[in-house]
Amino acid sequence: MAEKVLLIDDEKEFLEALSERMTIRGMDVSTAETATNAVSALSAGDYDAIVLDLQMPDMNGIDMLKLIKKSHPDMQVILLTGQATLEAGIQAMKLGAMDFMEKPADIEALTDKIKKAQAKKMVIVEKKTEKKVNDILKTKGW
Amino acid sequence: MTQTTSNSREGLQFFGRISASVSHEIKNVFAVINESAGLIEDFTLMADRGMPIQPDRLKSAANSIQGQVRRGDTIIKNMNAFAHSTDEAVRELDLVEALDLTVALTTRIADMKQIRLTSGDCQAVSLVTNPFDLTRLLHSSIVAALDCMQAGDTLVIGLKSVSGGASFSLSAPGKDAPLKNDESFSPLAQAMNASVTVDEDTGTSELRVLAATGSK
Repeated sequence: MAEKVLLIDDEKEFLEALSERMTIRGMDVSTAETATNAVSALSAGDYDAIVLDLQMPDMNGIDMLKLIKKSHPDMQVILLTGQATLEAGIQAMKLGAMDFMEKPADIEALTDKIKKAQAKKMVIVEKKTEKKVNDILKTKGW
Repeated sequence: MTQTTSNSREGLQFFGRISASVSHEIKNVFAVINESAGLIEDFTLMADRGMPIQPDRLKSAANSIQGQVRRGDTIIKNMNAFAHSTDEAVRELDLVEALDLTVALTTRIADMKQIRLTSGDCQAVSLVTNPFDLTRLLHSSIVAALDCMQAGDTLVIGLKSVSGGASFSLSAPGKDAPLKNDESFSPLAQAMNASVTVDEDTGTSELRVLAATGSK
């Protein structure tokens, strides 16, 4: 099944090239150049993973991550950054980012992380479904 | 005696901030080049498997790389000019060039705030001053003005000659004067004989800089 990915980055050419490469690799890719567009995309679609730039013009990546985690707690977020410092990465991981990569990123490593994100999401969905079934079995007096 | 003010931690911090911003921008340039080159490689791998290459897509990726090389070259040229601003304590400086350089070095901060930063009417003015300190003073003024502005605004900076020095005007069309005082950079302003005045009627802030002490 094709991985559904949302790419969020304010570098238009980066978005275009990376989304095309991911599409070539069989992924279903949506893009957003601003945090505002990302919020719209997030409410419009269901994604296996979000690849998020740490520095956006209308909202910094950490705040964006908080926003995503608030509305979609199980969302798998991979942060991309041009900053060569660890502090932001550590903070992002503490806030629930799945992973952290430095730009320029290796496409194969990024693809691998997206596949892991999809697998992780499937496990979460399965557990939630199982819990729902168990709850129904407990409450229904068959 | 000529006074310099940036033999201090503040000066070093400013140099660090600009270096960090520039290196971040170069990382973004490399990221685009990396993906565009990778895309060309993907096209060749697809061609190996018998899929026809589309010249337009190849051309677009190559153009992107060329554009990013130009962008990177401009960033590096500006960084080089900034680095050389520390060569001499005092020299005669072309202020139009100094302003253009500072605008270029500060544009990323403006972009992050979604504010357009641009040079307006500039008279040809030269001034005997400390190049590094002047860059820091201008940058501090612009950042202080940006902090008082909103996303979607435009900050226009002009330049004219005044008695004994130069005046940089900061205005945001259709808005109040963007820079109210030199509070956030007053020690540097004082050391450089610089002052901020505000004309609310025209909505213009003025940063007046005098020639370095001891210069003719």
